[in-house]
This record gives sequence, structure tokens and C-alpha cells, in this order.
Amino acid sequence: MSIIEVSHLSFGYPVGPRFATGRKTETHVEVLRDLSFEVMAGTFLVIAGPNGAGKTTLLNLLCGSLAPKSGSIRIDTAAIESYSTEALAAKVAVVRQEFVPVFGFSVIEMAMMARTPYYGQMGFESKDDRDIVNEALEATDTSQFASRTLASLSGGERQRVFIARALAQSTAILLLDEPTSFLDLKHQVGIYDLLKRMQLEKGKTIVAITHDINLAAQYADVTLLLGADGSYQYGRTKDVFSTEQIEKVFGVRTFSGKVGQEKFFIPLGKFAKDSAQINGKPDSSRQK
Amino acid sequence: MNELLTAKKLLVRVASALVVLAAVMFVCSLIGTRNVPLKAVFVPVRLPRVILAAIVGAALACSGVVFQALLRNPLADPYILGISSGAGLGAIIAVISGFSWTLWGRSPIAVFAFAGALGTVWLVWFIGRVTGKSHVTGLLLAGVVVNAFFSALIMFLTSVAKSQQVYATIFWLMGNMTEEDFLVLWLGAGCVAAGMLMLFYISPQLNAISFGEDDARSMGVNTARTRTIAFAVAALITAVAVSLSGLIGFVGLVVPHAVRLVFGPDHRQLLPLSGIVGAIFLVAADTLARIIVAPAQLPVGVVTAIVGGPFFLVLLVKHTHKVGWLSK
Repeated sequence: MSIIEVSHLSFGYPVGPRFATGRKTETHVEVLRDLSFEVMAGTFLVIAGPNGAGKTTLLNLLCGSLAPKSGSIRIDTAAIESYSTEALAAKVAVVRQEFVPVFGFSVIEMAMMARTPYYGQMGFESKDDRDIVNEALEATDTSQFASRTLASLSGGERQRVFIARALAQSTAILLLDEPTSFLDLKHQVGIYDLLKRMQLEKGKTIVAITHDINLAAQYADVTLLLGADGSYQYGRTKDVFSTEQIEKVFGVRTFSGKVGQEKFFIPLGKFAKDSAQINGKPDSSRQK
Repeated sequence: MNELLTAKKLLVRVASALVVLAAVMFVCSLIGTRNVPLKAVFVPVRLPRVILAAIVGAALACSGVVFQALLRNPLADPYILGISSGAGLGAIIAVISGFSWTLWGRSPIAVFAFAGALGTVWLVWFIGRVTGKSHVTGLLLAGVVVNAFFSALIMFLTSVAKSQQVYATIFWLMGNMTEEDFLVLWLGAGCVAAGMLMLFYISPQLNAISFGEDDARSMGVNTARTRTIAFAVAALITAVAVSLSGLIGFVGLVVPHAVRLVFGPDHRQLLPLSGIVGAIFLVAADTLARIIVAPAQLPVGVVTAIVGGPFFLVLLVKHTHKVGWLSK
């Protein structure tokens, strides 16, 4: 069953406010054009593409922060605009790019905010809410610093806390905007392991934006590769990623090699030490 | 701070704070430089003024909390969106035009200040909406510019006004308490209490909004509704406070921070406690203002800054490790 259904979706940002340009109709910079894809429940989808291709825009459309210019999005078979804010938050949770708040909320206080729509009349959480939040903290291995403030955590710890908050919303869908940027290797892998576990154990649908093609190749079942010109590729991850496709979309040559079953890509700059050799024969692993 | 707030903990803390407030109000009613018979102390002379200080302090502190949360800016205070200059402009216009009527026992200064305050907030809010719905920077800038513009108008009017009128205006701008009718007090107290209740009702949503409106919305919070209610109520209780007492600075900025430093940032607790602490603080400050240079009286705004400033710095140094926005 498809849990996210996007059909003929287009979106553009208005250029300047209407009164400033003096025109009756707003002009738009088109970001997404005629995009259609379906995500089955319980799959791991990665959205990749160059800067400005509309990855974050798509994420904002999928969580209802933006409204499509044309086309439609259906979440769990119902049109996204038919959901109230509260009802949509029960289906879709979002982890945005890192954000440090002004006030010193503790980890558990923040995670508990995911339960805000379910608070009782007096504005307090129930026993169930507490159990759900504690479970989310356990799952992300963050319960040992539940009482510390967010500012006192490292980048990797904080990212796990934001994922814990998203888990505490108990949604079927989890959207993440570059969950591993700014993280070191260990924490990058740690976050993806955590997401994969949520997919396999809880049957969650994971949609993650990433710049890391190799992590995507390892973890994602399906990939949506957005081009800066509005073109896109959607399909099984191993079909979508190839040296040709990556060069076309990113404008960067890659060296691709296989380790076991997995295909990996190494980007090549103009000054890469072996670039002269490799550039002559792309995808050299195949010749061995 | 290490555990979550519970309804029981909140009730106990609010109840104890209320007891302290009642005690402070009682003691302050007894203090004074004039000898008044004990019975007269409570009814016509000092108690109304003490009650007034409590209302104004609670209103300013609560709206300070709200503006800091909505603008996600620790520098925000009740006056940041131009309420002060709007009210000031209204007040000076009333002084210069020399009206002598009263409305429910209020002088035209208060009425004009109230109208000026609300009008300015509406103007800033409107400009903020045009510049972008969920971006607070546009709102903040609009507030700062409107503030500067109206302040210039105030200075222009003071420089063309007669010296008698200038004196009255400046005293008002510094923040000043006077004895009030009980009718006015009941009206003010009713407005402020109703406003505080409403703000408490949306305080869980204010917690979520501290993380940005996009985040709050994806957690299922109706941000547009919360923002509108919070802004409207905070502006209204500030306007009530300003029209009752002039521009008393410092309470709305410092009391929320002090309470947050000691009790944590959870708005369900921060709002009621800030209200009560703001009331205690202003009652005490006004009592000092009454007696320090007796038989003359200081404007209470002078006392709030002189006493509150150092006190807050001590708190800041002592508790700063607990919060995230100063220490990294």
C-alpha cells in the first residue's frame, strides 16, 4: 500500500511580495515541476540532488508547511490539505536541519512537546505520553541525558534527541532533512543505523534528504534524485545511482567501485591525484 | 528542573508564591511616611495603590514572557513592538490638547495612552504580516522603526509644548503610580486576570513555538491561532498596564528572565510565576518609591531599574550555567 502519493506536483516561490512588484499576479521561480512518485508503507526513501533542486521544499510540501502550486499529495490515501494540523502531526513527524532554541529546555521537556496535541485539559501529559516519550528516548539511546539542556549536548547527541522527539509523535512517516550533516563518521552511521532499525522494527516509512550518496546506497530502498533543472529520477536505489546519472545531475565525475554487493561512489575533482588515470576509463572496477 | 513539571508541583509553587504576594502586599500597605489611622490605610489610601502595583507588575511580566517566546528573542520586552511609544504619543497628545473630561474616572491621558498603545501594536502587526507571515525579523524591525518614529514625534511635541505640560508628560513617561478608584482597579484586575488565564491555557503551545513555528506546526500545534491569541492578549494587558501607570520599564524584561533562571523555561510554570513575581517586585518597588525621598515621591520606574538591575545581574552570574542561551 502506498502511504505517500505525489502526483504532478509543481511548486514555485514567489519573487518578491505582490505590492512591491506592482503586478496583479505573482511571478514564481519554479522549483519542482510535474513530480510524481509513490512511496510504499515501511520503505526507506532517500531524496538526493544538488543544492537548489528543491529537496527541502519537497519535504516542506510533504509535511504541509507549504501548499503545492498544482498537483496533489496524498498521505495515507487522504489528500494532505484535508488534514488538520493536529491530524497531520499524527501521521508525519519532521526532523529539520539543526536548530538551537533560545531557552534552556531539557531533553525530556523537549521530547515531551511532541505530545502537546494530546495533553489533558490542564495542559499536562498523561501516563501514556510519558511511556511513549521514555520509549523514544530509549530507542535513540538518549535517556541517559534526559535532564540535560539541549545546548550542553554535542551535535550527534542533539540530532538523536530531535529524532527521539519525532519518534514520540508516534507517526507512521518520518521526514528528515539532512540528519547527518555536521556529524562525524561514527555518528553518521549511527543515525542511519537508528533510522534503519525504526524502519525494520517499527515498520516506519523513512524519508531522508541527504548529500551522502554512499550512505544512501547502503541504507535506502528507493531513491528520488532531483535535478536542478526540474528533472528527476525515481526508483530502486541501485538503479538510480550510476556514474552517468550522478555526472548528469551533479556535474561531477565519480569513480565507482563495488565492495561485496554494494556499489560506492568517489567524487573526482580536477586536481584529484589519480584523476588522469581514472578519467580515461570510468567505472574501472567493471574491467577487473 | 531535572524532572518534568507536574500539575501538583505547579499548584504548590503557584500557591506559595501567592501567599508571599499577599504577605508583601499586606506589609507594604502598612509602610508609609504619613501617619494614617489603621482603618484608613486599607481602604482609601494605601491599599488601592498596592493593588494597582500588583496588577501592573503581573501584566508587564506576563506579556514579557509572551513576547520573548513568540519572538524567540531574550531581549524582547512588552514594549518591543512599539506599545511604549504609541502610548507615550497618545499621552502627550492628551496633555497638550488640555482635555479635562474623564471616562470611568480615568483622565484623558490614560484613555489616549490606551488607544495609542493598541493602535501602534496593530500597525506593527499589520506591517509584520505584509513582510512575511512566520518570520519574526520583519515584525521586530517594524517594531523598532515605529518605536523610533513615534519617539521622534514625542520629542517634537515636548519641544513645542509648554513647560508645565512637559513636566506632566515626562513624569508619565517615567512610570508613575497614583491612588486609584476601586472601580478602575476592578476593571484592570479583571482584564489582567482574564488575560493571564488565557495565556496559561495556551502555554504548552508557547513551549513548542519556542522551537520555531515550522517545528511547532509539525508537532501538531495550531501556530497561527496560538500566535494571534498570544499577541492580542499580551498587547491588551500591556496597554491596560501602561494606561494605568505610564511606562514602567524593566519589569517586563527582567522578571521573566529571573523566573526562568531559577525555575526553568516551561511556560506552564513560567507564566503564572512571572505574573506573581512581577506583582511582588512592583509592589515592593513602589513602596520604596513612596518612602525614599518622602514627602516627595520617586517615579517607580526609577526604582525598578536601580533595584532590579543589580539583583538580576547577581541571579545571572549565579544561575547562568543552567540555561542554554548564554553558556554553550
